[in-house]
Amino acid sequence: MNKKFMRILILLVISAAVLTGCAAGVRAESTPGLTVTDDSVYVAYLSKVYQIDPATGMLLSSYPDNSSASLVMYAPPTVSEGGVYFGDLANQFHKVKDGSLNQIQWTFKDAKGWYQARAAMDGNLVIVPNSDRNVYALNSDTGELVWKYGGDFAFIAEPLIIGDKVVVSAQDSHIAVLNYSNGEEIYRIETKGAVVSPPLYDPSSGNLFVGSFGKEMTSFNLATGKINWVYGEGKGLETIWATPILVGNQLIFNDKSGKIVSLDPVTAQEQWTIDAGGTTIAGLAAINDEGFVVAREDGNIQAYNLDRIPTWTKTVPGNIYNAPVVHGDQIFITVINTDGILYTYGISGQDGWVFTPPK
Amino acid sequence: MLDTIIVQPFTNLLLIITMLVKNFGVAIILFTIFIKLLTHPLTARQLKSTQAMQDLQNDPSFKKMQIKYKDNKEKLAEEQMRIYREKGISPFGSCLPLLIQFPIIIGLYQAIIRVMASTPLELAKLERFIYPFLDVNKILPIQNRFLWMDLGQPERLMVFGYGIPVLAILVALTTLIQSRVMQPPTQANDQAGSMNNSMMMMMPLMMGYMAYQFSAGLALYFLVSNLTTVVQYVAMGKADWSRIFPWMKPKEPASAQKAIIEAELDDEDDEEEEVPVKVSKPSARSAVKRQRPKMKR
Repeated sequence: MNKKFMRILILLVISAAVLTGCAAGVRAESTPGLTVTDDSVYVAYLSKVYQIDPATGMLLSSYPDNSSASLVMYAPPTVSEGGVYFGDLANQFHKVKDGSLNQIQWTFKDAKGWYQARAAMDGNLVIVPNSDRNVYALNSDTGELVWKYGGDFAFIAEPLIIGDKVVVSAQDSHIAVLNYSNGEEIYRIETKGAVVSPPLYDPSSGNLFVGSFGKEMTSFNLATGKINWVYGEGKGLETIWATPILVGNQLIFNDKSGKIVSLDPVTAQEQWTIDAGGTTIAGLAAINDEGFVVAREDGNIQAYNLDRIPTWTKTVPGNIYNAPVVHGDQIFITVINTDGILYTYGISGQDGWVFTPPK
Repeated sequence: MLDTIIVQPFTNLLLIITMLVKNFGVAIILFTIFIKLLTHPLTARQLKSTQAMQDLQNDPSFKKMQIKYKDNKEKLAEEQMRIYREKGISPFGSCLPLLIQFPIIIGLYQAIIRVMASTPLELAKLERFIYPFLDVNKILPIQNRFLWMDLGQPERLMVFGYGIPVLAILVALTTLIQSRVMQPPTQANDQAGSMNNSMMMMMPLMMGYMAYQFSAGLALYFLVSNLTTVVQYVAMGKADWSRIFPWMKPKEPASAQKAIIEAELDDEDDEEEEVPVKVSKPSARSAVKRQRPKMKR
């Protein structure tokens, strides 16, 4: 082979590499999926699911043993009765043994799309959304398909199981309420825009609250399917990406622009609004019914009390797209675009451990 | 910089087309054709320059000059530049349009990738790219379904339980057709011919593999891009279908090429050792060459 041919060959290889890079590496870019239990913290990110000690941040186990560039996982695992359930972007959904993530109990392979959201689990069903426009209900013991619910767009939000109903957020501007036993749609609530996060359920009132890309917050009753109120018209809201929270009888939510709004959950009467000072894709997290924490996209983390007074501020050297998780006296925050993917703080803002995946 | 000037406008244009036709697959097709038409003057100019350079390379006086100064690189370069000036040819005439097109191609590619946002993070990034005068709520999410494909996922057509990568096969096939249709006439220089042949084998395989791996939306873009390029060549009268369909009449060699054959033959007569003329396979030119000595006799 002469030099000119070699040059062309190298150029072709570089072009292929550049194009592959342009296609976002392993075909999709997303954020770490986080689940916290009393005993372990689980983080699914890129080619591994990590099980971490919540007290020390030490790695306990991981799945799989050998990472593969073709295996990518972002969906937060679901942990229940000794089993850990999670899906990947190779269209497979696994149940592995809690405490030893490499012991696979079953794998469901029938879906044709990616698993991007946490599965919901109750009774003997594990219900998991998939980007192939289906929600799958699987037998948690065997992994066999029990029913599936089909839609027109990819399902990317965690379903909710409430009694005999399953609540599914759909990107084509609605919430579907399904029968737990057979997956049949009981009713749907139309919204003005795509719904990309699960609703919040208030057991005391039986009401659900959900935000959408239609720049509105909607409340409806689960039992009747009746819309209680819609807040947003003329309020200057931006798209709402995250689930709201209920703290001290206030319904608090944020839009993308960083506007934080407190409403009376019954009447939708606006109580106050504040500005987080930057883009907030991630949702809020309640701190012991006394306050809440908001994480901005730029890595700024701000805690407030219910009088809207900032109590502490932290900054991480990366970007935050997922809502913080408060568990016990710890706050867990997943971060991208930096080495550490999980930062922890005390509920009073004390620095905790940082988990960086082993190279 | 590239994002603001090229990728963002392209992304919004693609979104507007998607909104209008209400189908992302059709939008990709229209968008690719539109951008190809937009860059057509550059493509035509590049082709013209390449053709002029090719004709010059085949010009007897140029060839003679190259032989004359083959041991004096400095003088050779000087003479080449003089001839370029005389004939009004820019040695970079074919590169410049290509360089200008490159960011446009990257922008086109990036826009398609951005709009195919599949994860919440990608959606968030896409939303940031949308111009304020467009209503995000009416745009997002994008319906990725087109024919049997999910444009956000690698394409497979299920036939009797087997996933057939139809788009990848079509991309490989159209890349091969495009390479063959665009292939310049075989040179006397055997190396150039063999390089072209190697490229023609590698490119379809590489593009086919990429289409197999990437989302169907990108594979669809590759396919439409290939087809549009072939149509452009046909429209400019540059396509040589005999390279694909052997029973078709090959394109006549350019007059300059005929001239070079004569020049080469003259050189062979004059200085057999100096200018060896190799012909790798029978072609129109070699046919003329084979006939010439007979005529002499």
